Amino acid sequence: MTLSLIDWIIITVYVVGCLSAGMWMRRFIRGVDDFTIAGRDVHVNLGIASLAATEMGLVTVMYTAQLGFEKGFAGAVIGVIMAASFLIVGQTGFVIRPLRNAGVMTIPELFEKRFSPRVRWLAGVFVALGGLLNMGIFLRLGGDFLVHATGMPASWLESVMTVLLVLVLIYTVLGGMLSVLMTDYLQFILVGIGIVTTSIMVLYNIGWTNLVTTLQNSWIASGGTTPHPFNPAHPTSFGWGYLAWQFIFQLAVVTTWQTTISRVLATKDSGTATKMYRRVSYYFVGRFLLPGLWGAAAFVYFKQHGGLPAGLDSMTAMPRYLSAVLPIGLMGLLVASMIAAEMSTISGYMLTWATVIYNDIITPCLKKPLSNQGQLLLTRMILLGIAVFLLLYGLWYKMPGSAWDFLAVTGNIYLASVFSLLVAGLYWPRANSTGAYAALILGAIGPLTFLIVNAKASPEHQIAAEVAGGSSFALAFLGMIVGSLVSRAPAKTLAPNPA
Amino acid sequence: MKDPYVLAWTALLFTSIAWYGFLVFYIGKKAGSELKTLIKDLTASRPP
Repeated sequence: MTLSLIDWIIITVYVVGCLSAGMWMRRFIRGVDDFTIAGRDVHVNLGIASLAATEMGLVTVMYTAQLGFEKGFAGAVIGVIMAASFLIVGQTGFVIRPLRNAGVMTIPELFEKRFSPRVRWLAGVFVALGGLLNMGIFLRLGGDFLVHATGMPASWLESVMTVLLVLVLIYTVLGGMLSVLMTDYLQFILVGIGIVTTSIMVLYNIGWTNLVTTLQNSWIASGGTTPHPFNPAHPTSFGWGYLAWQFIFQLAVVTTWQTTISRVLATKDSGTATKMYRRVSYYFVGRFLLPGLWGAAAFVYFKQHGGLPAGLDSMTAMPRYLSAVLPIGLMGLLVASMIAAEMSTISGYMLTWATVIYNDIITPCLKKPLSNQGQLLLTRMILLGIAVFLLLYGLWYKMPGSAWDFLAVTGNIYLASVFSLLVAGLYWPRANSTGAYAALILGAIGPLTFLIVNAKASPEHQIAAEVAGGSSFALAFLGMIVGSLVSRAPAKTLAPNPA
Repeated sequence: MKDPYVLAWTALLFTSIAWYGFLVFYIGKKAGSELKTLIKDLTASRPP
């Protein structure tokens, strides 16, 4: 089905309201601190809403549904591991407490205090490179959802992506983090309502017993050759090697991923940051499991309706399934909530990577500091540059393999190296700048090799994601330890700054 | 249906749906008042 007038009214009211609220916040921007970290005045529940909205994008819904379609409920084990990581870090304060107490604006800024200005600059390059490559597929996947959910012509995809990006750019460029907080709040509410309502409708439509037995019977009928739909450790599913990589990967994500950490750095103190992590942790189970349910239900629905129609794949089956089963009004609510999810993620991510480029790559190279207005203008120009990059990259890049593997490995470009720098810098007094250089370079080799080789190689010669990701963590820590021990470079200590 | 993996995913799925509902109404309400306070503080410290 295509959208009705009621659906379009719901979508239009949301988009106009969100844009107006975001633009209204621009009046409070006085300097780059307001623009990038909201003046460090964010309390725990607003932090939770902003973190949850930013990390639940339409791209998230698409790749988690793809995991559900291909691997059944076992695909959601990533969310369980992620939730456990948030809870462990929230309980112990591992990395995030000393990081918040250091009073920095970005992670690379900490590396100047602990290692050297050049380590900060190089880490900034890796963080921005990994982050922007990772974000490159957001618009394409978001556009795919809208095309298949609304029934609009596929030729409109590029135009719709561009309009969506321009809308987000308007309020992000004008109001920075304050606008992002305001719009994140609205998006948190709408996305939550949309996801809960859609999940209940999917369960009502497909039937829980039917869903479980069809998934089990399909696996048995395949002779146990397709991925086990419920056991993630089964050799046909992720297997223990992949899960072991994900345990360390998710621990690195919650302590190192700059879009998550920017919420930690915007909180009013480290106690608020750890409380925010504890309370938000279980959200990440649903972040994978609820769209995963939609993907698994799409698999069962098409299996019972003559197979997957031509032109659909594991990625686009879910939006087509939802458009077939959701009633008028609810479809409008779902599309509005998914547009909300996309807007909150794009705005939060663009602002984060712009902050890193401004704060850690360009500012250290300037001979004299910019004025307050100059800093704001520069950050806004970087945001515009990122938007142009996203449009160009999103239009031509063809993703090899599953979306989740691509996102995990591009994130891994900097996660492994920066995680090893953070852990060693905060907890190992002997760590020095030589070890930091070695960790940064060695940590990026595995993921970059994965991206280059897998873009060219035939499927049987491709590198497994867990091999590329797991080796990068091992190499980064090895580089940090060996580099620090063999070099005589002096180790610096961190002076706490509870600002 | 008595497969322990199925039981575990069943529990996780239904608690996730309930948790999302709770977050929207409870955290949403509290975050809304924190956002109002933030705007009030911003208005006081730097008039628009």
